Amino acid sequence: MARFESLLDTLGGTPLVGLPRLSPTHDVRLWAKLEDRNPTGSIKDRPALAMIEAAEREGTLRRGSTILEPTSGNTGIALAMAAKLKGYGLVCVMPENTSTERKQLLQAYGARIVFSPAAGGSNEAVRRAKELSEANPDWVMLYQYGNPANAEAHYRGTGPELLKDLPTLTHFVGGLGTTGTLVGVGRFLHEAKPDVQIIAAEPRYGELVYGLRNLDEGFVPELYDASVLNGRFSVGAYDALRRTRELLEHEGIFAGISTGAVLHAALAVAEKAAASGKPADVAFVVADAGWKYLSTGAYSGSLDEAAERLDGQLWA
Amino acid sequence: MAVTVSIPTILRTHTGGEKSVEANGKTVLEVIDDIESRHGGLKARLVKEEKLHRFVNVYVNDEDVRFSGGLEAEVKDGDSLTILPAVAGG
Repeated sequence: MARFESLLDTLGGTPLVGLPRLSPTHDVRLWAKLEDRNPTGSIKDRPALAMIEAAEREGTLRRGSTILEPTSGNTGIALAMAAKLKGYGLVCVMPENTSTERKQLLQAYGARIVFSPAAGGSNEAVRRAKELSEANPDWVMLYQYGNPANAEAHYRGTGPELLKDLPTLTHFVGGLGTTGTLVGVGRFLHEAKPDVQIIAAEPRYGELVYGLRNLDEGFVPELYDASVLNGRFSVGAYDALRRTRELLEHEGIFAGISTGAVLHAALAVAEKAAASGKPADVAFVVADAGWKYLSTGAYSGSLDEAAERLDGQLWA
Repeated sequence: MAVTVSIPTILRTHTGGEKSVEANGKTVLEVIDDIESRHGGLKARLVKEEKLHRFVNVYVNDEDVRFSGGLEAEVKDGDSLTILPAVAGG
């Protein structure tokens, strides 16, 4: 179907694309789910709309309400679009060390940005948002890290779409941030096809981001459910950039940097399967396209220089 | 050859400011014990009730040890072990 009543109705149903050039063998195949083909260009449109609709059903969100959300960018952009169409205000708490495109997009959609300090990354944004929520009890914090509607969006949408398009799926690899994608898709697949392996790829940032005052300020999203995962990789900027460029070079897909981290883990999984001689269909998530990261220099110059430019930035 | 252990900023008070230290051991716990024998105090920050601290992640060659045996996860000479505080994404 190519005709929709409104932009919000175009959510989901994203293409699953084979990667014949990057797949290790004919029997071990890689598949990319292009989540950049969502209304605001990222997978976060799914949880954003799901969280808003859940709050509308519960009656906490009414026309004219102000939404508050800690976000490193994509969730904020998705909420900003939906908020505009539905008549809500939006305040985003965002770490200052995110790409300039994210800030510009949020502002273009009319969101108000409250910046949190670079040191401590998203942990600080979460803390600041919780403070603002207490100080402004009429604001509605959707809180993607703990809102079940986040994982639910993937349980009902992303997961079933994957299995319908690829019934032979053996591995699913996704980025670990709020953990919503992996927990939601993972729960669905464990029920529908229990043998599927669920693998997480999380970004490994520069030291600044881990610069907490003490370990107990560490943060694990309330949604996180380790029992859904079979493995978890930590991927640094250099490997993420290298894979992002390979995806463009060999398969023509212009993805954001977090996708490179996910592809890095997907390739590790695929190569392990190939070495054991077992056929495999490894699907992974392209969370967004590369447009929002052009200013970081991710796609040009040497990998070492590009990785250095990302040091201290929240690139996923 | 030994295992190279990368220490996050917040725990470097226990390693005299060193970003990375060499250690020996066949499991994650043995490696932590080996560091503890030279840099007292680190273990108490990483291990609570015989388990990894909730807000600490440990990776052997970039794979989270919680999925490969936790503190008993196997470590080989030449491996890299990375300790990081848990942070939010999204």
